[in-house]
Amino acid sequence: MRIEPIRAAGGRPAHIRHDDDLIAAKGVSVVMARQLVLQNIDLAIPKGSFVSLIGPSGCGKSTLLKVLAGLVNPTSGSVSIAGLSPVEAARKRMIGLVFQDANLLPWKNAVDNASMLLGIADKSLSRAELRARGQEMLELVGLGDSAHKRPNELSGGMRQRVAIARALALDPAVLLMDEPFGALDAITRDSMGQSLLEIWQRTGKTIVLVTHSIDEAIHLSRHVHVLGIKPGRITESLDIGLPYPRDLSVTEDPEFVRLVVQLRTMLRASHQPGGAS
Amino acid sequence: MSDQPFTNLSEPRLASNWAAATSSWLPAVILLLATIAAWEAVVRIFAISAFIIPAPSEIAQSLVAQWATLMQATLVTAGEILFGFLVSVVVGVAIALVIVRFDWLGRALYPLVVLFQNVPKVALAPIFILWFGYGLAPKIGLILVIAFFPVTLSMLAGMQSVDRSLLSLMNSVGASPTQILFRIRVPHSLPNLMAGTKIAATLSVIGAIVGEFAGASDGLGYVIQFASTQLDTALVFAALLLVSVLGIAFYYAAEILERIVVPWAPKFSQA
Repeated sequence: MRIEPIRAAGGRPAHIRHDDDLIAAKGVSVVMARQLVLQNIDLAIPKGSFVSLIGPSGCGKSTLLKVLAGLVNPTSGSVSIAGLSPVEAARKRMIGLVFQDANLLPWKNAVDNASMLLGIADKSLSRAELRARGQEMLELVGLGDSAHKRPNELSGGMRQRVAIARALALDPAVLLMDEPFGALDAITRDSMGQSLLEIWQRTGKTIVLVTHSIDEAIHLSRHVHVLGIKPGRITESLDIGLPYPRDLSVTEDPEFVRLVVQLRTMLRASHQPGGAS
Repeated sequence: MSDQPFTNLSEPRLASNWAAATSSWLPAVILLLATIAAWEAVVRIFAISAFIIPAPSEIAQSLVAQWATLMQATLVTAGEILFGFLVSVVVGVAIALVIVRFDWLGRALYPLVVLFQNVPKVALAPIFILWFGYGLAPKIGLILVIAFFPVTLSMLAGMQSVDRSLLSLMNSVGASPTQILFRIRVPHSLPNLMAGTKIAATLSVIGAIVGEFAGASDGLGYVIQFASTQLDTALVFAALLLVSVLGIAFYYAAEILERIVVPWAPKFSQA
């Protein structure tokens, strides 16, 4: 079956699969409460890339992320992560999840929170091994000296760092992040984004980021997919050609500014309901 | 002292600390003392008979005169309260765990628990006496049926208010329902459970007294009932005072327990 390609702005069509694709979604549609939430999503995410999903509220970008994570079953279509179903991939600790709320356990300190999921996923690890792994991950996210603090002693940004450490402790192939910095102030948000870039470059993880922020999407990602509403679908895809490593000074680059304008235009168009297709 | 200027430096701060500390409880103490004084005055001025309203001084005299009897009764009642309270917490927690862990059983059990809550449980006291006799058992039974419900309800509320995305995280790594229950839901419910436990502590006092009213040969409830048949109203009030002291003691014991069990709860994190 041939599907009309959605032409990426500066590169290959978004859905065409390569051997190095880690995640491939084919014809994914999701119906919830008689509403078509996602329509015929084709998405290929190359191994080691940093991909953002951006779109207006209600476009189903969070639902798409949940489909990739195996938390929502698509009504039709399929998703494969390195040849496995998302649920199988999650059981093999290939998926790390980070949500807008850090969801730390208030009765555990940072290091025990960081290793909590790993402890459930791998029952063979001793308490000392879990602690060591948690500590290692806290150091990776820049919280090495806060290991014994409880969540109520940490700032919002620090809590989100622990949540990232908790996801990374599983050593997943892909990090799926649903507006992880959405509840943080602008300055914290910038520094969290920069830290995430550094973590990405150090670990070589594949990262899929759901975001509302145009600047964040361009600052961090290699590819941006724009989702439209009614029904949720990928309307445009944009390759971000800015070279890595990037820091916050990239936001002053003329190319960055041009991409912001281009992405904003795409987003505006995505607010128009798509109707039947 | 004018020749010791430096020692005065800290005094204003000390004084204001003391003022801040006393100003929080001083109004309540003043009102209490004023009420007692007014009570004493009214009873004396209008020469009200001691078996209708005894003066505070008469209650104090009765307290001193009957001290040994009252202390013995207090110990008996305190034992009933403590035992009944512990049984209520254990049973209340067990019911909550069963409701959450076993979905089918929970759907069968929960409506019945709520239905049972509407039974006027004080009215069960005579039946319990009939079934269990005059000893400790009917009091424990009565405390249990009165006090388990806030424990169950508060723990259920805590276990069911776990954030969905946290459950998603757990499910994604293949956590079993039992793991989610004991690693997430139960610890998450502890602040709620401790709040329910404080209510249960207060209700346990009521349960014990009602149980003793219905049939007992000992305890403060028995003293109250016996003294009222003798028209010894001062002794009734003296026993009531001790019941109140027991209630306050159990409430604060539960509060101290709360601080030990859930030091991480939002309520204490600011301290």
